Amino acid sequence: MEELNSEKLLEIGKRAVEKALRLGASEAEAFLCMGYTNSVGIELAQISGCMSRWEQGIGLRVVCNKAVGFAYTTLLEEKAIDETVERALKFARANKPDQNWPGFPSSTNFPEVKDVYDRKIVELSSEELISSASEMLENALSYDKRVLPIDGRVQVSTLYNVLVNSNGVEAVDEGTAAGCYLVTIAREAGEVTPICFEYDIERVWNIRPGQVGKEAAKMAVSSLKAKKIGNAKMAVILNEVALESLLYYTLISAVKADAVQREQSALKGKIGQKVASEILTIYDDGTLSGGLNSAKFDGEGTPMQKTLIIEKGVLRNFLYDRYTAKKDGVESTGNSVREGTDAYMKTPTLEATNFMIYPGDASKDELIEEIKDGLLVYGVQGAHSSNPATGEFSVVATPAWKIEDGQIAYPVKGVMITGDIYELLGNISAIGKETRKIERIVAPWIRADNVNVVS
Amino acid sequence: MGILKDKLLKVVEKGRSLGAEYVEVRAERVSRTSLTTKDGKVETARQGIDYGAAIRVLVNGAWGFSTLSSLNNERLKKAVEEACSMAKSAAGKLRTPIELAEIKAIEDKVYAKPRKDPSEISIEEKMNITLNIDKNVFDFNPKVKSCTIDYLDISGRSYFANSDGTYIEQDKLYVWSRVLATAKEGSILAYGREEIGSTAGFEVFDEQTPEKIGNLIGRRIVSQLKAKLPKGGRFPAVIGPNVIGVFIHEAFGHLAEADLTISGSVLADKFGKKIASEKVNVYDDGTIEGAFGSFKYDDEGVPAQKTLLIKEGVVTGLMTNRETAKKLGLPPTGNARAENFRHKPIIRMRNTYLAPGDYSFEELLEDIKFGYYLKSFRGGQANLDGTFQVGIQEAYEIRDGEIGEPVRNLSISGNTLETLLMVDAVGKDFELWPGRCGKDGQTAFICDGGPHTRVKEVIIGGRA
Repeated sequence: MEELNSEKLLEIGKRAVEKALRLGASEAEAFLCMGYTNSVGIELAQISGCMSRWEQGIGLRVVCNKAVGFAYTTLLEEKAIDETVERALKFARANKPDQNWPGFPSSTNFPEVKDVYDRKIVELSSEELISSASEMLENALSYDKRVLPIDGRVQVSTLYNVLVNSNGVEAVDEGTAAGCYLVTIAREAGEVTPICFEYDIERVWNIRPGQVGKEAAKMAVSSLKAKKIGNAKMAVILNEVALESLLYYTLISAVKADAVQREQSALKGKIGQKVASEILTIYDDGTLSGGLNSAKFDGEGTPMQKTLIIEKGVLRNFLYDRYTAKKDGVESTGNSVREGTDAYMKTPTLEATNFMIYPGDASKDELIEEIKDGLLVYGVQGAHSSNPATGEFSVVATPAWKIEDGQIAYPVKGVMITGDIYELLGNISAIGKETRKIERIVAPWIRADNVNVVS
Repeated sequence: MGILKDKLLKVVEKGRSLGAEYVEVRAERVSRTSLTTKDGKVETARQGIDYGAAIRVLVNGAWGFSTLSSLNNERLKKAVEEACSMAKSAAGKLRTPIELAEIKAIEDKVYAKPRKDPSEISIEEKMNITLNIDKNVFDFNPKVKSCTIDYLDISGRSYFANSDGTYIEQDKLYVWSRVLATAKEGSILAYGREEIGSTAGFEVFDEQTPEKIGNLIGRRIVSQLKAKLPKGGRFPAVIGPNVIGVFIHEAFGHLAEADLTISGSVLADKFGKKIASEKVNVYDDGTIEGAFGSFKYDDEGVPAQKTLLIKEGVVTGLMTNRETAKKLGLPPTGNARAENFRHKPIIRMRNTYLAPGDYSFEELLEDIKFGYYLKSFRGGQANLDGTFQVGIQEAYEIRDGEIGEPVRNLSISGNTLETLLMVDAVGKDFELWPGRCGKDGQTAFICDGGPHTRVKEVIIGGRA
């Protein structure tokens, strides 16, 4: 990948910041991205094609009289950038001053983040990607003839982010990522299983597409002959995928300082109080080695850090960006996020980085063995319609299996789990020891007792 | 503009010379203005200029796709070379080569004619409208605690050329806004949302005035504070236009997207068969003027049309792109859409709705002893096997044929086909609601809707 040169991006950024100051901005910030993504797609049991995406751009935040304006462009030429500076200034001047404006951060040292860049990914050929996708597909197809892989992808990406501001921050972050996923269904005698999903994702080139193919196929086959069950309260095991969907729209939303300050969080005023089972400890760690959302600095140029959220069931901290931190008289926790190869188009938002549920000591088998009557849930549907302000949710568990007498008995269909996320977190009785990364969380399996199951 | 056309035609030519049997290139020059307000303050106002192109080629039956945020000639040349060479490599692993349904070559220029062009409206006025909505939400009741509003407009032009001889210039114009608000009383927190969207122009706010939107949301969240929790189980329900729309979209529409149908959705073997009660007629229509899901040509250069999906309970149509149309022997329906040049066109819905019947609202209610009236949705999702879940933000009990007390945190679920067979009366009213739909990482602007509709029973979830 030629031309991806962070020195050049820094130069462009510095020039844009200077230009904004010259035209009257009191503060200015430039955020630049250059990224390249290469992927191979699978559709309907065959490799359907390849895709590459090349992206560059600059986003400028300028401040006039404590009011912020933002503008971006994909053209990194002098004239286009000058116009962008002017547009950002015009928008800042149209806005009313905000006395809470915290200003941009000053220059500081950034943490060393390990295992987030792999030269091998940058140099990977299309042929290698195609053969990975092919291995994933063939493993799924050869597992069982009832399996239909309907969608999948192997993808690698390289992204350079540069942040320059008028307080002296000049920061560069270079990152890579590789991922694969396969979506399968199984069909037999007119029955179609729900979609099953398996994946692997890392910041370095060590994903296992072959294993993903096999597991995705196995999951689909074991979802055949699903039965309906009755209404009951029972123990439920949530895997990482199900947990991520459920937590993102409930707990993660509720620990953002913005939601707390604006009465949108059931956790307001609960710092120091017990909000979950004492076996639950959660960190948000933007510096995690190999973390999917790890970087040196956040979207505002604050160093990434590790923040204790829940310690043995007790709420310890909220997630802050500079704006919400100023309101509460604390420091930003480095949770102002700008992400993706088109991050330059966006202004920062308050988000979790790597929301990490600390592993326990139970193996997956042990988690299952101790359940007399329960459910094993590999995904939930409809989590985005949860009530983020209260933590109340009502989701379809799919795919999911009934557990009886310590054994996985049969797949279930049309099963909803409903309740309040804090009640569920309070009822966690065991935590698995293996963790996986997905989206914003790093988590093991968890088991919660007494969950309301509606069918 | 001639320069850009020449650029595109050169890319098409280059792709052909590299052995591609099909080449298409889409370029965009679009301006996006957006802003977010939180509790009466404009957080940031943003403006962006998006320049870029997408190149898609078929080589030996395999797709190659390259996208770039630049219209630089060298970059374009490199991108088409890359697309062709990647496709050539992928073709080696292909079992069934991809072919496309024939379409007529088109040369056309489509210009937007807004009464109020968002690109000519000042940022101050956009801020004012948004802040005015905010003020109306807070003024509704002191129990309102927060209000977040997003505003977005997109205006610009897309340029499309392919190796079949089609060349289309088409304006893009969207105005969208979403309001999220919460209210609190004691320990009860209520949460509500609403969206506005149009392809007509900024005049959408003349109809959807800040007062109207503010009061609607204010009333919704404040009434939830007093609402009771639903009983879990199976109950009859009257489903309002806003909820029937999202049900038709999520639970049925996605299954009728030909790529998902072929992927084994429960509709796979149902073409020409009865899957719903004879009261059910469903359309996906890209031609409704000004509607949020309307456009003249899709991103494969196929004219949008009004597609009948269910006629009197029988599946009669699927939404296709050129690839699935060829595979299934169906007509291309103009449903291939890409969010922008960063994405490849995939099958998306446009304006999807249940067609009206002949019942009045009172007639729908009168035979229900106990059930629920589902007025407004919070979100919905469905699976290929036909299970769906729709969260409801505004619902009421129905007791002895009358609307009763408000109910909160309710959601409905079930199997699409079973639920469509349960439709036993369809109202004569009709509403279309704008929304956004996510699929494969892309967001499409759509509408969905229909009349008030009665189902004999549906699974009611929530906190039983």
